[in-house]
Amino acid sequence: MNSFLESVFNDAENRYLKPEELRLLSQYVNSLPDRLQVYRTLRDREIEIMQWVADQLEAAMPQEKAELLERSIKNMVLMLRYCAMGMLMNDDRIVRDRYVAWFGEMSSVYGTEAIDATLHQYLNQRLTQILSSKEMNLLKPLLLLAQGREPQTAALSGNLFS
Amino acid sequence: MISVADLISHAPLPGNYFAPDVYVRGDLEMGLLENRQSDRLLALPETLLQAIYAGLEEETGQAARLVLFNCGRWWGKSFYTRFWEQLSHHYEISPGEMPMAEFLRCLQQCWTTHGWGKLGLDQNYQNRGFLLIKIWNSPFARHAPQWEYPVCFLEAGILSSFFSQLTGRELHCIQISCESLGADCNRFVLGLPKRIEPAETMVTNFDHDAIMQQLCQ
Repeated sequence: MNSFLESVFNDAENRYLKPEELRLLSQYVNSLPDRLQVYRTLRDREIEIMQWVADQLEAAMPQEKAELLERSIKNMVLMLRYCAMGMLMNDDRIVRDRYVAWFGEMSSVYGTEAIDATLHQYLNQRLTQILSSKEMNLLKPLLLLAQGREPQTAALSGNLFS
Repeated sequence: MISVADLISHAPLPGNYFAPDVYVRGDLEMGLLENRQSDRLLALPETLLQAIYAGLEEETGQAARLVLFNCGRWWGKSFYTRFWEQLSHHYEISPGEMPMAEFLRCLQQCWTTHGWGKLGLDQNYQNRGFLLIKIWNSPFARHAPQWEYPVCFLEAGILSSFFSQLTGRELHCIQISCESLGADCNRFVLGLPKRIEPAETMVTNFDHDAIMQQLCQ
């Protein structure tokens, strides 16, 4: 359950919801069919998406050890799963708590920063091809967070998702 | 060529095993706390911690420090075994094959998730044969009585045992700064017993920097 819904439930016995809170709630409920659709797409096409990204990566970085490439690809599979769940629940805590702090550090432990950055680029490119712009907008904030780019910065950097 | 289907099916994806939201589980009806392997976790109430210090001081006087340190060593021994098993099980490789930085990052996360504070490693003295460990927000310091010397003997015992097993050499651990005495964090120096022994007598008179300087001379 996302943090907004949690707070709404916790307050149930004290008061009725304010119009603004109801608006947020219905906004989330209305977006659920789209969120479910994006989630299904990512679930059903996970291997296809990742295989495309892996192929591009191998071609782009043939000098890198296969072991490191595989490690980064596995982490990216995990990243997209966390982002998919975060998008579905409209809650970025799962990405923040389980992914960001941990994998940011692991990236420097294994020295895979350059591989990861390239992977992110190909993944974003592939997702933009597969998802509609409306769908991509639902997923984008989570991806930006997971990839270490806060939304404002990424918007300024322009062609991240082109 | 890398096959993603094989990668996903043959090996687990190595997530953060000790992430608090998945590692600690509670069953309200049974009144149990468990970890993600369904091993029981024990919650230590503040009163119990305070009582352990007070009871030991009453019963054993000065020897309370030694008792706590030895308890810590036993605790550390089992903790090391469990930690090693959990890592092997989750990451499907021997922790001995992990990069040291990843192993230590797991230890830091494990430490925090168990509520023992935040642990950090200072490797500046490594080439002199010492490892400095810092712990912030230790509950063992917060609930200790006001002694005139550092109080975290339990943690010193855990750390000496943990790192002795990790390195395969008998290491001793002495606390050289303590939150209970107003320090910003608890500092523990680890090294061969003979080399760090002089610190024992310095802890009440010198600050941690001075102690490290003298040890390194």
